[in-house]
Amino acid sequence: MPLRIRVRNAETGATVDMELEAENTVEEIIEGAAGYWEKDPGAYVLRCGKRLLRGQQTVVDAKIMDSDQLELIPDPEGG
Amino acid sequence: MKPPTVLQGKERDTIEAPPPPRKRWAPHKWIKEESLEALREKEGNVIELFISKLAEEKMRNHSIAHAAERREVMGLMLGGFYKNEGNVYSIVRDVVTTDLEASSVRVRFNRGGFEQLFESLDRCGFDYIIVGWYHSHPGHGCFLSSTDIDTQKSLFSGRQHTALVLDPIAEEIRAFYLENGEVLERCFGIYWDDYQNPYYNRAVKMRKVRSNPDGMPPPEGGLGLSKTLHENRNESVEE
Repeated sequence: MPLRIRVRNAETGATVDMELEAENTVEEIIEGAAGYWEKDPGAYVLRCGKRLLRGQQTVVDAKIMDSDQLELIPDPEGG
Repeated sequence: MKPPTVLQGKERDTIEAPPPPRKRWAPHKWIKEESLEALREKEGNVIELFISKLAEEKMRNHSIAHAAERREVMGLMLGGFYKNEGNVYSIVRDVVTTDLEASSVRVRFNRGGFEQLFESLDRCGFDYIIVGWYHSHPGHGCFLSSTDIDTQKSLFSGRQHTALVLDPIAEEIRAFYLENGEVLERCFGIYWDDYQNPYYNRAVKMRKVRSNPDGMPPPEGGLGLSKTLHENRNESVEE
């Protein structure tokens, strides 16, 4: 049974609704959302509330639930 | 297995609101004279970035706290994008940071520090947008290095997004943005809210002393502090 979630882009406040399978990974969710906003997926992290979601975790491992709102957070590097 | 499917996207509307009035913002005290000249030239036009006094103090204090060890600091600037009479501007209301992996020439968030960062985001108390980022170059001056430009291009490529750079040793601060891939400097103002003004909505009036219980004349130059406090408690004050 697919899940529906919402991902918020923290840099613009825009949102995207996505449909996920239980085996989809966090990395794939980041790629899907970042791709939609034409961003570099490698420069972001995804959070669910206060939890950092790890790239190789699946939807089940990361305990992502139907109707959850995730947030794409920039991970900058300064030099 | 099917990859995640994007169903629909929704943009956030830019709020129509006037920027802080001229009497409630000022150039930063670390802005160099030449940059201030540019700011003055722009004053008649539109300032596109306003940073709250609170956020500015947090960034400046953060950079100063690690200046002696020459360690860079970094954080995210929270606020929103607004429009006024067709012009878009950004407001930085607060900043957040967490544990860092930092040296004198490089900085990024510590991998174990993200949950603390998320907690700070939730605690900010308003519906934020990350309008940019700040970091310091202790003793190196304010500019965007090639690493900074890569970060700006991959994360903050919108014209409204800002990279703020502080040098706590040289006491310098500059803001940058990208336009058509080119790095440009942005003029900005530090604004304060009325609630940050200790005299908000109160006129400070001269107090008149009606009587002197000790029968002594006030000391030359007026009443001392302890005398004033004593009289405030015991005597009526005419306003």
